[in-house]
Amino acid sequence: MAINGYDAIVIGGGHNGLVTAAYLGRAGLRTVVLERRGALGGAAATTVLAPGARVPTLAHTVGRFRPSLVLDLDLKRHGLSLIGPEVRVFAPSPDGEAVVLWSDVARTADGLRAQSAHDADAYVRFDRLVRSLAGFLGELAARTPPDIESPGLGDAVAGLQLGRTFRGLGRSDARTILRVLPMAVADFVAEAFEGDALRAAIAWRGVQYTSMGPWSAGTTAVLLADSAGNDGGAAGQTVFARGGPGALAAALEAAGRAWGVEYRTGAEVATIASHDGRATGVALVGGEELTARVVVAGVDPKRVLTRLVDPVAIGPTLLWRAGNIRTPGTVAKINLVLSGTPRFTAAGSDESLIHGRIVIAPGIDPLERAHDAAKYGQWSDPPVMEATIPSLVDPSLVDGAADGTQVMSVIAQATPYALRDGTWDERRETFGDLVVSTLDAYAPGLAAMVTARQVLTPVDLEREYGLTGGHPMHGEHGLDQFFLWRPMLGQARYRLALEGLYLAGAGSHPGGGVTGQNGQNAAREILSDWKKRRR
Amino acid sequence: MARSYDAIIIGGGHNGLVSAGYLARAGLKTLVLEKRNVLGGAAVTEELFPGFRFSVFSYVVSLLRPEIIRDLQLPSHGLDILPLDGTFTPLRRGDGPSAAGDYLWRVNDHGRTIRELRRWSASDAEAYEEYGQLMVEMARFIKPILAIAPPDPTSNDPRPLVPLAGLARRFQQLPQRQQAVFVQLMTMSASEFLDQWFETDPLKATMAASGIIGTYQGVKSPGTAYVLLHHYMGEIDGAFRAWGIPKGGTGGVSNAIGAAARALGAEIRTEAPVVRVTVRRGRATGVVLESGEEIEASSILSSLDTRLTFLGLLESGTLDPSFEADVRRFKFRGSSGKVNLAVDRLPDFSCLPGEGEHLRGAISFSPSIDEMEQAYDDAKHGRFSRKPYIDMIIPTLVDPSMAPPGKHVISCFVQYAPYKLAPELGTWDDQREAFGDAVIDRIAEFAPNIRDVILHRDVQTPLDIERTTGLSEGNIFQGELSLEQLFFNRPVPGYARFRTPIQDLWLCGSATHPGGGIMGANGRMAAIEVLKSRGRRAA
Repeated sequence: MAINGYDAIVIGGGHNGLVTAAYLGRAGLRTVVLERRGALGGAAATTVLAPGARVPTLAHTVGRFRPSLVLDLDLKRHGLSLIGPEVRVFAPSPDGEAVVLWSDVARTADGLRAQSAHDADAYVRFDRLVRSLAGFLGELAARTPPDIESPGLGDAVAGLQLGRTFRGLGRSDARTILRVLPMAVADFVAEAFEGDALRAAIAWRGVQYTSMGPWSAGTTAVLLADSAGNDGGAAGQTVFARGGPGALAAALEAAGRAWGVEYRTGAEVATIASHDGRATGVALVGGEELTARVVVAGVDPKRVLTRLVDPVAIGPTLLWRAGNIRTPGTVAKINLVLSGTPRFTAAGSDESLIHGRIVIAPGIDPLERAHDAAKYGQWSDPPVMEATIPSLVDPSLVDGAADGTQVMSVIAQATPYALRDGTWDERRETFGDLVVSTLDAYAPGLAAMVTARQVLTPVDLEREYGLTGGHPMHGEHGLDQFFLWRPMLGQARYRLALEGLYLAGAGSHPGGGVTGQNGQNAAREILSDWKKRRR
Repeated sequence: MARSYDAIIIGGGHNGLVSAGYLARAGLKTLVLEKRNVLGGAAVTEELFPGFRFSVFSYVVSLLRPEIIRDLQLPSHGLDILPLDGTFTPLRRGDGPSAAGDYLWRVNDHGRTIRELRRWSASDAEAYEEYGQLMVEMARFIKPILAIAPPDPTSNDPRPLVPLAGLARRFQQLPQRQQAVFVQLMTMSASEFLDQWFETDPLKATMAASGIIGTYQGVKSPGTAYVLLHHYMGEIDGAFRAWGIPKGGTGGVSNAIGAAARALGAEIRTEAPVVRVTVRRGRATGVVLESGEEIEASSILSSLDTRLTFLGLLESGTLDPSFEADVRRFKFRGSSGKVNLAVDRLPDFSCLPGEGEHLRGAISFSPSIDEMEQAYDDAKHGRFSRKPYIDMIIPTLVDPSMAPPGKHVISCFVQYAPYKLAPELGTWDDQREAFGDAVIDRIAEFAPNIRDVILHRDVQTPLDIERTTGLSEGNIFQGELSLEQLFFNRPVPGYARFRTPIQDLWLCGSATHPGGGIMGANGRMAAIEVLKSRGRRAA
């Protein structure tokens, strides 16, 4: 046994890898996290974009992070502080109107009443339905998908428990969830609401981070999963980590460190070593070899199986299947430093309306057309996007910058990884200009306020963050990569291809987003195997 | 005193007739009531122009259940299915490896198809064999599902779940790779599913086309992969994968089933439109015809779709409001049209001139995945496709009786033609001929002589399909075959077992599991359920 032998190596210091590492450390395993980049956090990171101005690099909200993790890992003590503005979503239309979704359901309904009494009443019912269905999905998310090859007693018990939870929905909601999960989100919102702007403001979360439009089957499942395990409801959550998403990574790191977890940045794993069907450690770029009894991948499964493991060890069939994991990245990130607070026409003088997520998706049809463009390798003009101005609720992000400075974080959709014309390297700034000018149409004067800008295209997400295909969710959130078959049937139980190799990242059930759920589930399975081997 | 039967079947489409056959065979006094003067519903043959007979709507058969053919002895009542050989995908200049314009031609002769594919891609030729074997395995696994009355997963009664448990066990016994492929078939888009094996664009587009037929979905829409399997489930004389056209058109199938039902004792009346199902104290007791005639029966089966049955034939207020809301929510969204042509010469394809074997099978206008998807994009936004997908058949090449000597009929199934047009286009009555022109223009891209050979043209828009056959919104499957409207959700969650909330009123058409196509499974299963409820077994 090599002198550097660890109990566990975690490849990738994204938030899920950090969660798993913390749990393993807490259980007494000698654990090291290997991060290729210079900083931990992966997509949960904060970047200094201008002197004294820090922006959320990729993810900008952390409201889906499982509350049980905050308690379990004592993250508040390790510095995590969460900010939840009253307003969740502000969705302006080009005509100067806006849909506003508040954390208070009654307040949202009151606001909707001016447009449509029907929608105002429907919103309350819809919110209840989403909470009920998402509650079930939240339970599902916290479970390891059952073993269907050779189900054991545990799987039977889990199945019964799940059956009971399912029945707990009541007959009407139980039927509804079976009907709506595979449905197009455009149909789901149309069943409830008549207002197109409201439909789109809600349907947005059904297509965000996917390469699907609102008319694609299965986007309702994406919407409901987004509300699973949090208090999102119909509006979805809007919660910021004080100091930016990187602060969440820092808290996770601190928690792990307290349990003895080691962290190495600038440590890129080149291969996962295996012997006789068992993962035995990793080799770093540069040649250093580390051994461990458990190897945990926080990185995406396609990368793990097609790049990091020995193809002979997993065999041609699994290699072929892994090569077919769908990772159609269609998300770009634009970060801005602004010299002042932008004035959105539809917000009037009420600055508090833009404290949450600003959703630029003015109707189901514009959302679908944006997706139409992306299908053929073109970005959508105008783009559809979600922006936040976190410095409005967290001034610490700009405390070293000139007075009045704000930072704005924009997640743009329908930006295909492979452009039909030209390359992202040639066209990156052209797209950045388009995003800024589109925002400027909603908030005149915004363009002139931009003092610094960063544009991260799907290609950059792949290069910088190792996301295959530039897909921020490590794999499309489609019905074909869901629960028992995420990332693939037979590989959904956090054990991946080789004995001793585990998947803790977003490519596993229940998918991407800053939830930490994958890392928590993976840690539970790793420790269960660990104890069995000890016996 | 009204006349009285054991069973009345509303609608003489192929499913209604199959139900009638099975009920009569079990000894029930059975009556079929058909609105039109011809039997068959959407499976009819009509002489649209003197001497030219057409399968006006539905035009091919592959899924007709073999047990129905056996049980009702359909061949002895005139059923004769002529095989269609192959699928020919014409291309334009510059589309393929050959500069002069190319084509992709797959035939039933496997060796020839592989050689043809090798011309395009060696790896596709290799993958095609493996893919075909896999699909046959999958079709074997899935076929029994077509014959299960879907259980209600929210029910506390475990008995209907038993067949599902058997299915789960069989699933478990499949090799993992096949399990994974099954899941993909149920969830993926046809295009992405095929991407895993193939690189040849016209091949993928032509195969994917079968996934979108009759649906308001594109080849890139999740959930369309499943229908790829149907091509491997077709069963004519036991041969997997063959498609055929019935001698005398699809009306030939309906007439054979009708003749079989009559021989078994069923009575069939045409031009007898039902306007009302009589309900007394929650039970269906009979029907009222347009003429005012009342007929009683202890079981009423409707082969019409859910909208016509529940919203059209029942007194308002009969249904529980939540059930009625579910019925209103059920999606139809007809998306296809039909152009029937009478021609005095055959079309001549630039890529393969002359009157060869390639015209004897299906001719698929599906040059690329992107063109297929763009056709859908048009429809999504309320327009008929500018460059539609067309599935063309020339029935007279295998059944010359359909046209005068030397002449031909051509059947063009066209997608997309959305039932709801964008407001600026007006109605389908305004757009019918423009739609017909778009179809001819599309054909002319590949076979420029088409305009010169047409003697007559019949254009069926979704509105026309609705008007003639009654199919709501012109949906050829009596309701969109989207994932949320399949199996235990079809047509209404909790009512997937052919029963309705009205006692003794049953559904037996394509609105039920397993959906549409000239399959007959719905009619057969419904009849079996009716007989069970009456304490009888299917004889």
